[in-house]
Amino acid sequence: MPMVLLKCDSDIPERQKHIYLKGPNEDSTEFLPVANAPTIPGTLSERGCAFCGAKLVIGGVLKDTIQMIHGPLGCAYDTWHTKRYPTDNGHFNMKYVWSTDMKESHVVFGGEKRLEQSMHEAFDEMPEIKRMIVYTTCPTALIGDDVKAVARKVMKDRPDVDVFTVECPGFAGVSQSKGHHVLNIGWINEKVATLEPEITSEYTMNFIGDFNIQGDTQLLQTYWDRLGIQVIAHFTGNGTYDALRGMHRAQLNVVNCARSSGYIANELKKQYGIPRLDIDSWGFNYMAEGIRKICAFFGIEEKGEALIADEYTKWKPKLDWYKERLQGKKMAIWTGGPRLWHWTKSVEDDLGIQVVAMSSKFGHEEDFEKVIARGQEGTYYIDDGNELEFFEILDLVKPDVVFTGPRVGELIKKLHIPYVNGHGYHNGPYMGFEGFVNLARDTYNAVYNPLRHLAGVDIRDANPVALPVKIREAA
Amino acid sequence: MMEDKIDDLFDYVQVRCLWQFFSRTWDRQENIDGVLGKAYELFTGKEPSLKTPADKLYYADAKSMVSDCLASFPWIKQASEAEIRQVLDGLKVRLVENVITKSTNRELTHHLY
Repeated sequence: MPMVLLKCDSDIPERQKHIYLKGPNEDSTEFLPVANAPTIPGTLSERGCAFCGAKLVIGGVLKDTIQMIHGPLGCAYDTWHTKRYPTDNGHFNMKYVWSTDMKESHVVFGGEKRLEQSMHEAFDEMPEIKRMIVYTTCPTALIGDDVKAVARKVMKDRPDVDVFTVECPGFAGVSQSKGHHVLNIGWINEKVATLEPEITSEYTMNFIGDFNIQGDTQLLQTYWDRLGIQVIAHFTGNGTYDALRGMHRAQLNVVNCARSSGYIANELKKQYGIPRLDIDSWGFNYMAEGIRKICAFFGIEEKGEALIADEYTKWKPKLDWYKERLQGKKMAIWTGGPRLWHWTKSVEDDLGIQVVAMSSKFGHEEDFEKVIARGQEGTYYIDDGNELEFFEILDLVKPDVVFTGPRVGELIKKLHIPYVNGHGYHNGPYMGFEGFVNLARDTYNAVYNPLRHLAGVDIRDANPVALPVKIREAA
Repeated sequence: MMEDKIDDLFDYVQVRCLWQFFSRTWDRQENIDGVLGKAYELFTGKEPSLKTPADKLYYADAKSMVSDCLASFPWIKQASEAEIRQVLDGLKVRLVENVITKSTNRELTHHLY
């Protein structure tokens, strides 16, 4: 099959390069959607901005760090409370939001004094917090505020604090992916190896690219504890600023989200010789494989097998209950990028679900190589999909459930199609063995939920259409 | 016949192995060489060297691959060392072609990460 020009894209035919329908025996050397490219004028992109990628996805996860956003209030507010990454210290990162609240006068006369004042105010208000990340935004980047100089001045005035700056305004890249990149490279160049971690195990690793969505990190941590592996730094789920300064001391970098965090794993390999092991943390089969690989690296295979056996005994029967009822259901995945290739085979192998369409907001061509290799024939692979395309694809593939974010989820719900939050989860965690049972349960609840049928009934009608008889058939 | 065997392993690696899709050409080449080198040792019953961190990494990836392939493809157990060598050499050619030389990923050769 060639690349696909949807009917809704007739006025923006450039979109054809971004949408692929996989045919028999095709691979990504023949057809690879153009990705990480500027959004085409005329299309209503679902993407976020580069600043959002740095703050909302990575930096804002840290549990002990003030996130000072140097810009108008909206940049702070709109990247606060829209992700579900709890912490084990009372969710400090989700309770508070910080902004320099730039106004017109600061744009005209410069915002550096405002930033300095705000940094001091924040540290004064929270004397127990000694770490801060400062982010530029579009206006403060455009007027050329020197945030690094301000950070140096504040650190000189307050010797007990440490400040990291991320100069990645929203316009810096084509999507949030640029923010991931800038934060990764800035951190390795400026902060890694500035603090020596305490080593408490003969087995040490960094776990990279997991953001503790509804407790993912905390669930996986129970595995590493049982295996006796010290995680020096979580990048960045439930993580701390100082732990990330000690990443150079790990023996192994284990990478889950290669898109948001592969950069720092590559640099840790290049600069410190720490090998990079990519794994999938969603799905029984994948999680077991990941544990086996990590244990093989450290030579503790028996411990790994015992852990896997325990978890299978506990959770596999529950997974199989859902598999029996979800077998043959059709799923669409419209998320950021990596979850396409993390999930397409895991839901197929572990739950018998067929993934019929996948769209990525910020994935690169590398992500499409992975997902086309793993995904099925007859499935659509879409880069930077827009709303009209979603309507048309839904009509073509008729999914039983769509995994996507709350924004697109509203569209999905209005069409009375079952929707599961593929970003922040409905009721996670979704990683690990227990997590994948949660995913299966939420999928089952969505697919068999009778309320979506009720929502489609027009109560003004004297003889409303009867509800489908298939509701709850699986239960 | 040999092509069928290479197909078996190639299809498995395409679907299961993230190491073939690292960020840059040199990473992909290193991983292909490293993992397939260790896979050869494991398939042929040799004791793999685990002296360096990279050795241990490739061993970890190869061990899963070898275990899965032995379970899925009965012909491997009957294959001679020379045949295993031939299949893995063929697999390497296919992988290099697929994920490096014929890949249209525009970021593969960027000198920075």
